[in-house]
Amino acid sequence: MAFPGQPAPGGGFYQGGYGGAPGGPAFPGQAQDPLYGYFAAVGGQDGQIDADELQRCLTQAGIAGAYKPFNLETCRLMISMLDRDMSGTLGFHEFKELWAVVSGWKQHFLSFDSDGSGTVDRQELEKALMNMGFRLSPQAVTAITRRYSTHGKITFDDYIACCVKLRALTECFRRRDTTQQGFVNFQYDDFIQCVMSI
Amino acid sequence: QGFPGAPPGGSYPGAPPYGGAPYGQPGSGPYGGPQPGPYGGAAPGGNVPPGVDPEAFSWFQAVDADHSGYISVKELKQALVNSNWSTFNDETCLLMINMFDKNRSGRIDVYGFSALLRFIQQWKNLFQQYDRDQSGSISFNELQQAFTQMGYNLSPQFSQLLLARYGQHSPSPSIQLDRFIHICMQLQSTTDAFREKDTALVGNVRLSYEDFLTMVVTRML
Repeated sequence: MAFPGQPAPGGGFYQGGYGGAPGGPAFPGQAQDPLYGYFAAVGGQDGQIDADELQRCLTQAGIAGAYKPFNLETCRLMISMLDRDMSGTLGFHEFKELWAVVSGWKQHFLSFDSDGSGTVDRQELEKALMNMGFRLSPQAVTAITRRYSTHGKITFDDYIACCVKLRALTECFRRRDTTQQGFVNFQYDDFIQCVMSI
Repeated sequence: QGFPGAPPGGSYPGAPPYGGAPYGQPGSGPYGGPQPGPYGGAAPGGNVPPGVDPEAFSWFQAVDADHSGYISVKELKQALVNSNWSTFNDETCLLMINMFDKNRSGRIDVYGFSALLRFIQQWKNLFQQYDRDQSGSISFNELQQAFTQMGYNLSPQFSQLLLARYGQHSPSPSIQLDRFIHICMQLQSTTDAFREKDTALVGNVRLSYEDFLTMVVTRML
């Protein structure tokens, strides 16, 4: 079963899986990577960035474009989405993966933000999410719209937050769906951890 | 008054696999008590609405910066602080507005605010109870203890996860009041959602991808 949430072509998607790189460049060419500059500028000694640093990093690198910078909670969510070692921080490779995913979502958002206002309405949001492959029940769409819209509009920042949550939940589920049938047996403790780590 | 029930004072007996009912009163029905009436912003300082604590009233007036008669998430955030003087985080404020917002307007009136303050005070008392070393925040051990006393049966990894996610990045991360409230409320919601599906009470449920998404999205956002 194919799982949704992959960004549209053009956004790229690192099949990655590297851990965070401690300290300086871990392989030749990393230092020349333009993204490494932004990362290193905020990362500090340990080569890991936390939510505050990620917020600064993404703002400086211009991913939000003309839109206002990501709020801290969204940054925290993004870290938890890729934070494989549960450290609450991202290494450079995880950061690159994040960048690629968010770039994809940005392209996607832009294609639905027809008036370039930086917001989409409920219908556009539903279409955008369905287009990404998320099969959402009507109750789910209602809950999402209620949570993320202000005066009926959803901003880029909130759209990202929504995508991050949906993707993180999907990842959570997919990792446990060992037979790839679209069903998982959850133990209580595991379910709680899964859901509350989002 | 029908507002969400207070957190418990002690532990609950007879726990099924995932712990018993942690809290007394379920649900958050519309509040009874006196009708809100035309409070508006025009009332002079002296006229405390019936059923509202005078201190809560003056606090409300101070927080309701635009005198609209309602408090938004943003205004609420300014009013609530943790022991380390950080303002309550957005998520907790949103959760609280949703809980005490009778008509889904995204804001609360003076009655909602008054009830919210009582609710927070009860949580604060509980928080202070679990903060055994009175440090102002809850450590790993204290969090484990708190969950056990609330009747939950959860692994240490779970507490570890919460501290990594919500604690500060120090040698011994700990949780502030706002996150503690948020965590406990989400834990209750999630447990309720799980229990709804686990009709046989075996501590295990089989979920399709869509069911899983719907369950979580409708309860956790």
